[in-house]
Amino acid sequence: MSTVEQSAEVGGSTSTPVPSHDGGGGAHGHDPHATATGVTNTKLAMWLFLSSDCLFFGAFIAAYLLYRGRPGQVGPSPSDLFDIPFTSATSFILLMSSLTMVLALAAIQRGDHRRVRIWLLATALLGATFIGGQVFEFTEFTREGLTVSESVFGSTFYLLTGFHGAHVTIGIIWLLSLWGLSNAGRLEQGDSERVEIAGLYWHFVDVVWIVIFTVIYLVPQPGS
Amino acid sequence: MTEGTIARVEDEVEVVARGELGHTLESAPGLLPGEIRPHPTPFKYVMIAIVLVIVTAFEIAVSYLDGDIPDGLIVALLMIMMVVKFAGVASWYMHLRTDKPIFQRFFVLGIISAVVLYAVVLASLHTFS
Repeated sequence: MSTVEQSAEVGGSTSTPVPSHDGGGGAHGHDPHATATGVTNTKLAMWLFLSSDCLFFGAFIAAYLLYRGRPGQVGPSPSDLFDIPFTSATSFILLMSSLTMVLALAAIQRGDHRRVRIWLLATALLGATFIGGQVFEFTEFTREGLTVSESVFGSTFYLLTGFHGAHVTIGIIWLLSLWGLSNAGRLEQGDSERVEIAGLYWHFVDVVWIVIFTVIYLVPQPGS
Repeated sequence: MTEGTIARVEDEVEVVARGELGHTLESAPGLLPGEIRPHPTPFKYVMIAIVLVIVTAFEIAVSYLDGDIPDGLIVALLMIMMVVKFAGVASWYMHLRTDKPIFQRFFVLGIISAVVLYAVVLASLHTFS
């Protein structure tokens, strides 16, 4: 019996049917999944993870800021390498993937499974395009002489953007698995929280890129 | 004490506990668990995306003013626009505006911790001088 049905039979206080969630806490006083905070544990756990991930990315951004423009470094400098129009295009793609992600969430909350699949696949494809752009960028930078071991700038740059790319790749796998579940008919309207949590992760990857794009690519380099 | 009395006392304790915590385990009609207001409509999502794209375009344009206006002004403008975009995605797409404040508190705690911690580290290593 779903939480909605339980709510109607046991509590009877919820006039509008609300999709059930694991740990959602729908029925008054008798929900075995009820939590003390009134929010689902999975969603709270994702927010805690994202909160801790801020410190993770903060460390890499700080390391990059610490070493960029330091004298005595060999190899090409950021201003020699960065192709702002290209990176702007990939940033735009990632920003649009956030839009398609929320549209997927809105679709599953409406119970429109066809659009859920379309938007989930679109988000994954946009993410894959972003990763393709990053691979291309890394290849170009390596060709021009910036490797991980060439300079501290190279190490911190590849570490930061590489870890971000790894996050995006995990997100793509997650989205494709949701798409597969939806195709198999195993992602119901009541499972919208699964899409919402994947979406939180995806948007976080987007907001981290918003910071990286500005701080690493757009802010003028010292001495440029 | 009868079973009925125990059940009634348990219910009352739970009601008091909810009141103390400031949370309810039920969703308001038409809302999902964890929401305090309904999520934006798809149209609103698209409008937000348009705003974010416009801000990004301004960001890129400002970065090309390097050399024409003071670097400090460029950095300030870029930081403001970055924060606007960050807040836009977090508020609307991550639903911090419409979900219970506990999520916002957790996220803001992480952001502030990261900013303060690494600002202190960078300042102590004379990165800003």
